[in-house]
Amino acid sequence: MSSNIIRFVFENKIHEIKNLDPNETILNFIRLRLKKTGTKEGCAEGGCGACTVVIGELKKNNIVYKAINSCIAFTTSLEGKQLLVVEDLMQKDGSLHPVQSAMVNFHGSQCGFCTPGFVMSLFSMYKNNTSYDKKTIEESISGNLCRCTGYRPIIDAAKSLNNKKPDQFKINEKKTINLLKKIRPENIYINNKNKKYFAPRTVIELKKIIKKNPNLKFLSGGTDLALIVTKQKKDIENIIYLNSIDELNYIKENNKYIEIGATTPLRKFELFIKKYYPDFNTILKRYGSIQIRNIATIAGNIATASPIGDSLPLLLSLDASICIENFNSKTILSLKDFFISYRKTKLKKGQFISSIRIPIYKKNIFKAYKISKRIDDDISSVCASFNVIIVNKRIKNIKIAYGGMAPIPKRAIHCEKILLNSDFSEEVILKAQISLKTDFQPINDMRASKNYRMEIAKNLLFKCFTEIKNNKSIRLNY
Amino acid sequence: MKQSFFIDEKRPHDSASKHVSGLAEYTDDINEPYGTLYGAIGWSKEAHALIKKIDLSEVLKSEGVIAVTTSSDIPGRNDVGAVFNGDPIFPLKKVEYYGQPLFAVAATSTELARKATLKAKIIFKVLKPIVTIKEALKKKNFILKGKKIQRGNPKKTILKSKNYLKGNFTTGSQEHFYLEGQVAFVIPKEDKDLLVYSSTQHPSETQQIIAKMLNQKSNSITVLVRRIGGGFGGKETNFLTSSICALLASKTNKPVKLRLDRDDDIIITGKRHDFYSEYEVGFNDAGVIQGLKIKLSSRCGMSPDLSGAINERALLHIDNSYYLSDIQVQNYLCKTNTVSSTAFRGFGGNQGMMVIENIIDNISRYLEKDSADVRKSNFYQKNNRNITHYGMKIEDNVIQEIFNKLIKKSNYKKRYLKIKKFNLDNKYLKKGISITPVKFGISFTTIHLNQAGALIHIYTDSSIHLNHGGIEMGQGTNTKIAQLVANEFGLRFEKIKISSTNTSKVPNTSASAASSTTDLNGAAALDAVSKIKINLEKFIKKKYNLKQIKNAIYKNGLIKFNKKSFKFDSIIKEAYLNRISLSSTGFYSTPKINFNKKTFTGRPFLYFCYGASVTEVTIDTLTGESIIDQVDILQDAGKAINPALELGQIEGGFVQGQGWLTMEEIIWKPNGQITTVSPSTYKIPAVSDMPKKFNVEIFKQGKNRENVVNKSKTTGEPPLMLAMSVFFAIKDAIASTSNYKKIPILDAPATSEKILMSLKELKNRVN
Repeated sequence: MSSNIIRFVFENKIHEIKNLDPNETILNFIRLRLKKTGTKEGCAEGGCGACTVVIGELKKNNIVYKAINSCIAFTTSLEGKQLLVVEDLMQKDGSLHPVQSAMVNFHGSQCGFCTPGFVMSLFSMYKNNTSYDKKTIEESISGNLCRCTGYRPIIDAAKSLNNKKPDQFKINEKKTINLLKKIRPENIYINNKNKKYFAPRTVIELKKIIKKNPNLKFLSGGTDLALIVTKQKKDIENIIYLNSIDELNYIKENNKYIEIGATTPLRKFELFIKKYYPDFNTILKRYGSIQIRNIATIAGNIATASPIGDSLPLLLSLDASICIENFNSKTILSLKDFFISYRKTKLKKGQFISSIRIPIYKKNIFKAYKISKRIDDDISSVCASFNVIIVNKRIKNIKIAYGGMAPIPKRAIHCEKILLNSDFSEEVILKAQISLKTDFQPINDMRASKNYRMEIAKNLLFKCFTEIKNNKSIRLNY
Repeated sequence: MKQSFFIDEKRPHDSASKHVSGLAEYTDDINEPYGTLYGAIGWSKEAHALIKKIDLSEVLKSEGVIAVTTSSDIPGRNDVGAVFNGDPIFPLKKVEYYGQPLFAVAATSTELARKATLKAKIIFKVLKPIVTIKEALKKKNFILKGKKIQRGNPKKTILKSKNYLKGNFTTGSQEHFYLEGQVAFVIPKEDKDLLVYSSTQHPSETQQIIAKMLNQKSNSITVLVRRIGGGFGGKETNFLTSSICALLASKTNKPVKLRLDRDDDIIITGKRHDFYSEYEVGFNDAGVIQGLKIKLSSRCGMSPDLSGAINERALLHIDNSYYLSDIQVQNYLCKTNTVSSTAFRGFGGNQGMMVIENIIDNISRYLEKDSADVRKSNFYQKNNRNITHYGMKIEDNVIQEIFNKLIKKSNYKKRYLKIKKFNLDNKYLKKGISITPVKFGISFTTIHLNQAGALIHIYTDSSIHLNHGGIEMGQGTNTKIAQLVANEFGLRFEKIKISSTNTSKVPNTSASAASSTTDLNGAAALDAVSKIKINLEKFIKKKYNLKQIKNAIYKNGLIKFNKKSFKFDSIIKEAYLNRISLSSTGFYSTPKINFNKKTFTGRPFLYFCYGASVTEVTIDTLTGESIIDQVDILQDAGKAINPALELGQIEGGFVQGQGWLTMEEIIWKPNGQITTVSPSTYKIPAVSDMPKKFNVEIFKQGKNRENVVNKSKTTGEPPLMLAMSVFFAIKDAIASTSNYKKIPILDAPATSEKILMSLKELKNRVN
């Protein structure tokens, strides 16, 4: 069974929209169609947070709230969810939500344009936590830019919160859950003026669709793909949306590897990976804002194949592999063989990444570093990742990968060769540093010059081994 | 009971609850009438080229397009320059920057209008662009004639000085990145009148420029601004958006909304001037500057815009807080094929101040002294060494008090030693600390702009309608002026209705700029209040026969004359019935100021704002990354009207300045194309960049000696410059790698890349 109607809960009702334009963003839906103008457009690329709305998802009889950037999320992705915008927070009698009152009382707004976005990010934090320390607060609003306040009053407002007294959403929760349950999962198929949109619910259905329509664009979180519409002002004509497929949203582990399903949000993965590779968690926290990580996926990051995709050098140094499927086959490919040239991969028409496997190394040292102009919510100038085994001061195993140094995320093969089976000495490290010039010829762009890129690539290698040698990390306390 | 019960009150911004609930209306939020069209601008992809042909046939055919407009549709003045010509709406023959508008489209939706602009076919003959200051200097390509100012005989005193240094220094450009981009909404009315909603800091100039463009009179154009989502100078003279929107509305006779998307906004509209300076300085062993020569050049972009005034303010702030007995500065206003540089919080003052702060920092490092001591020994004094290089006597100097207090409060001296120890103990992470002062002059240096108007009505139910020429852009000017008015009438704040700035209510206003919006418009509002009070008091005295009594007191809703007291509400009703005017305009012009631009002498400022800040940073010498560990600020706000709002200005200004001096970097390619055009490539500080410890205090002893509303001092621009200490703390951390023996070479912004390259260069000199 399939339907061409997108259904979601909004203002305590189920909204149904028939044959929606698959390229319409949630922001345009709210502002232009509903004429609710509290939610603002600041950048149309998920980079400023002014457009933040909150999505409620039903998870085992609970609603999980997620802040997202409505400017780069398509309205179709609301299917089966609850949409909350800033106007929903004020109660009918005009009384403000605790998050809103705190922002007023602590002078958290000046020009006020970024404020609705901050309010929604803080609302999501308020709903998902019971205490609000500085780290939690900073993480919750790292994707919201304010040009007026300098953030201090917003942090103070957030610190003042406590959610012990239930808000109206808690009181209404049962009703909302019932409404969400009424929306039965269905495969969605939309044909709007030749723009096609498919959102299958199962892998079987997915395969049926791609067999018939091999030219579809795969949409996962869409935090990169949506920019074709919002920035390049082009249409994406044929979309197949993966994130409705619950069976691909999983993390499994055995003795040898961790397997992550393609539609698992980064946010879920980053919390999981911490126990195996703490630096992976640290880098993912700086991958993008919480709004982005709530919907972006590792599979999406891999398929996009950006040379500056932050998870890629880490996965490469961990020697991850990916499962590639089409309608009738499944192959496993080492990630190091996946990238061909700038944004080109071995993925053929009709093929999709169904999962990622990350080996579990028990004896290895894993380190990763990201250098960018800004700490949070920035794209790497260089991202480096090291996976090493040292036995008796001898390097027994080594995998090094860099992002931002070549047209593709890439292993430092020459450098690895010098280091492998060598003594772990300053002389060897120096030789390895020099060999990076054979591995990489970086370019100048607005983020960094080629000289700087090469310089930090060398220094990060040095830093990694100095940290290992001294058994002490050299990191700024961000 | 407090003497004044709304003044000094930390009340929230008047729109705060509307901000947090999404109910505060910005220009793009105004509900459009049926038939409204949506605009988009088509712009040049060349930085310097002759226009051979603009073919818009495909644009016209594009879905949803109703009209296109080009220079040939402009009946009047094809220029939006406020002071000088040079900013064509659509150039006729030649494009002079990448991003210059060439035509515009009106369509049935914004999306379709933007899509259509991409279909234009434009044929250029490409010319070589001049992009950098150095290229322009080499080719003597100037937009306006520079000034040479001199006091004393620096050539001689430099020669005579025991110590000598020379060098050069650059500060970078900066994008305003107001969260609400440029937007206008124009509704045609009868008689070709236009009602213009625009996100602008300058409604009166918007009105005049649209009128001139359409060959109409100013009285046919009305501009309304309720609030803007940040301005910072970027909406002071950007009239392209509103003019093009008005042109489309005039051509189609339909309401038109034109909102630039973020990339177009950054590409099309102006930014901060970057500055390049070369200096020679002579000084004694205490670090006192005895002679100083500076060549000061700035990138002005393709047109004069406000570059004259901005470069003048740089000259006026080249002293910061220091007495410079013998000084010569020659400035060069470079013309480049980049977007016209424009106003940005600080307005050249901050760029001038960075030059002298860098010199003082270098002097301190040369003499191996704590720069706090060298700064102090150069400070203006109270009774001598108190005349600026432009001949103004400084009468309100409190920099010593602030500086000494902050040194104590921040524990500067102990931390200074602790940091040196930290740097001995740590090989790769290094700390640095710096304290810098700020002295910033308040008034428009173009004297006639120092005027303002207001309009107050009291209705028969005694509710009050307040209007003035200032723009609410987040700084809280409306709240503060309403506080002043409520206080003067002795009424509750809620009785005052704040209304949109409106050129038909208060005419001929100056831009909300130069930090003086509340000073000027607040005073004008109080003038209106006092006129109404005169009417009321005359009426009461006559009616109740209170001839001998002079002054009435307005408090708690009462008007008191010695022993008699009257309810404000009842008096208003009575006054109306007795045909007494309950409405008045108000006007203010700043006293005392004068400035001779030719001789560069006079008193350009009514008063000075003072402040100081201490910053401690840590840098990673392997990557060049930096973090701010602690900031301590002490800022003079006079007798603040609303300390909470002032605190917000101080903190926000600091972080904006921090961005300017650290991570915010505009990159132009050699062909003139700007490549940092959105938040993914242009980084303003985010929450994790703010100082880990941030101690901000308002100078409690502060009081404006001049007759400014409530004896307050503005906090608009000055706090931005408090961030100078961030830059010099970073430089201090770099210097530690030479054991403080060498002077690092570091230009602003101190990005990770610049820091690492500076470390590398320093290392080469040490070895």
